[in-house]
Amino acid sequence: MIDIAAQLVPKTMWNAPNNSTELWTRIVLALLVGIALFVGLLNAPIQLRKPIIFTVTFVSGLFYVLFWLYPAPINRQPSDGPRNTFEALSFWISDSQGVIADLTNIIASFLIGLGIYSLMRVHIGKIKKQQRDWEFSVVLVSSMVLMVIFGYVDFYMRLQPGNSKMAGSGYVGWTFWQFGKDLLFNGLLQNMDAGMFSIVAFYILSAAYRAFRARSIEATILLLTALVVMLSLMGLVEFYWAQGVDAMHLSNNFKLDNIARWLRGNFQTPAIRGIDFGVGIGLLAMGLRLWLNLDKTGSDA
Amino acid sequence: MGQNYLDNGWISILITLAMVFMVLLNIMRAHNVKDLFIRRIAGLNAIDEAVGRATEMGRPVLMVPGLTDTTVNAKTMQAINIFAYVSRVAARFANPILVCCYNASTYTIAQEIIRDVYQQEGLIDRYDVDSVRFISDRQFAFAAGVAGLILREKAAATFFMGEFYAESLILAETANSVGAIQVASSTEMTQTPFFIAACDYVLIGDEFYAASAFLTRHPVLVGSLIGQDWCKLAIAGLIAIGVAANSFQLAGGSHNTTSKAWNEGKFDTLPKPKPFGAGDTTLSRWLNPDPAKDIKIERPQLPPDQIPSGGGN
Repeated sequence: MIDIAAQLVPKTMWNAPNNSTELWTRIVLALLVGIALFVGLLNAPIQLRKPIIFTVTFVSGLFYVLFWLYPAPINRQPSDGPRNTFEALSFWISDSQGVIADLTNIIASFLIGLGIYSLMRVHIGKIKKQQRDWEFSVVLVSSMVLMVIFGYVDFYMRLQPGNSKMAGSGYVGWTFWQFGKDLLFNGLLQNMDAGMFSIVAFYILSAAYRAFRARSIEATILLLTALVVMLSLMGLVEFYWAQGVDAMHLSNNFKLDNIARWLRGNFQTPAIRGIDFGVGIGLLAMGLRLWLNLDKTGSDA
Repeated sequence: MGQNYLDNGWISILITLAMVFMVLLNIMRAHNVKDLFIRRIAGLNAIDEAVGRATEMGRPVLMVPGLTDTTVNAKTMQAINIFAYVSRVAARFANPILVCCYNASTYTIAQEIIRDVYQQEGLIDRYDVDSVRFISDRQFAFAAGVAGLILREKAAATFFMGEFYAESLILAETANSVGAIQVASSTEMTQTPFFIAACDYVLIGDEFYAASAFLTRHPVLVGSLIGQDWCKLAIAGLIAIGVAANSFQLAGGSHNTTSKAWNEGKFDTLPKPKPFGAGDTTLSRWLNPDPAKDIKIERPQLPPDQIPSGGGN
């Protein structure tokens, strides 16, 4: 019996002893309930769609509201039982969080299939009709198929008894499949990722060139501020600027790094804090509207 | 995991609940009040202009609802809500759209909402199933995919809204290189400067959340926006009170030293007095929950067969 089917720490209403009949009964029951729910949702009348969505959203939201707001158990040990009903609820919320998070992941994993379907639809269609740049679609589809094949074969082989050495450093025990997967993932994908990331450096330059032009008073202030902060980060400039400045003299305040620190501490940080408050409150209001089904935007607007 | 608010830190939860109350109260009030004023937001005024320009040029409008790592969150939903409005305008102009999704959950929701928009406009025949696409859930593969689409399709207007990270500048600069008019907003403060540098219009901070109210003028949304403003005023007031109270307490002659320390929900006597610091003020104690790690609580013990013996995590 694999361990992942019985998460025993701590013992809760969501798990059961390893390899026990109770555990298997629960797994089968969960599967049946899942199938029943799936079929029920597929066949639900259209007018029931919104109430169902509202109920699921409200109950899920309520759980997380309780999770964050209800007092959490302090220093709970695996052998501890709740002292009263108040604490029993606290224990239940704490135990259930992992299960609820897993449920979310399971639902999300169903959606990956839809995502892949969308990708394949677009690109296989493009290849069939030989539309413009269809060659790129061939590269995408073949890369995906190869990565799936090599990834799964490698994963399966590493799980086999005696193949644990493959996980170590070096290429001990590697076969064609491990080398293939390594070439595709570490040799190509990771490097292409890094290549895309490095482009950001050049784009920063071109964006800065456009942004730092003194077209208005605001743009000029931005330009000067940025100039001071950038110069303060250049060791050589900072060194020569600070020559002859007495640390105990008023002029010490006008060392580049002190000006930059003052700008960051007195203008940048308060501005960011202010914006953060606005974003946080906006998120709170948006979350409330979604939770209580008050949001009449999107397609309802 | 949250702290035990009954021991300490209860004031934070009280402030949160007060803000929830203010938002809900204003949502209820807004139904009875007409013509509430919302200031002009340049980026949102530009939506019609951007879509109109795309129509004139016969090129698509491209939208990206952010790169959220989790399934779907409120930020993604807000971005999709704004895109529903953009799609509605595009549908009326018979302009092609492209919605690029970073994860499959966003893709499914965006597809549903955009299709509903076309249906409500009575233009379902103009809806292209492939206009909402899942690109990739790897950050730079997504950036490469979207950049490629922008270059190949020569998007005339681009909307980047939601959570963006290092790829923000790649997307914005690529769109700039094809001359697209760009409206952007990131909830990540680190990326907003990049958008400001590279895009035509940027919604900063909570303007992103005000967008739906601005675009639709729906009473619930306008009420919520007013509630948010009340909350901001309340926070500003609290900051002022906090500055005054802390200054008063720290400057008070009798409090220059303290012989007691706040520990586990009670005062412990210190072996010798220490200077009274910012962490010793009443407000600081209220706002900093004490995790009470060392408290031992006597609880009934579970029977042996109920106690885990290993396995699992």
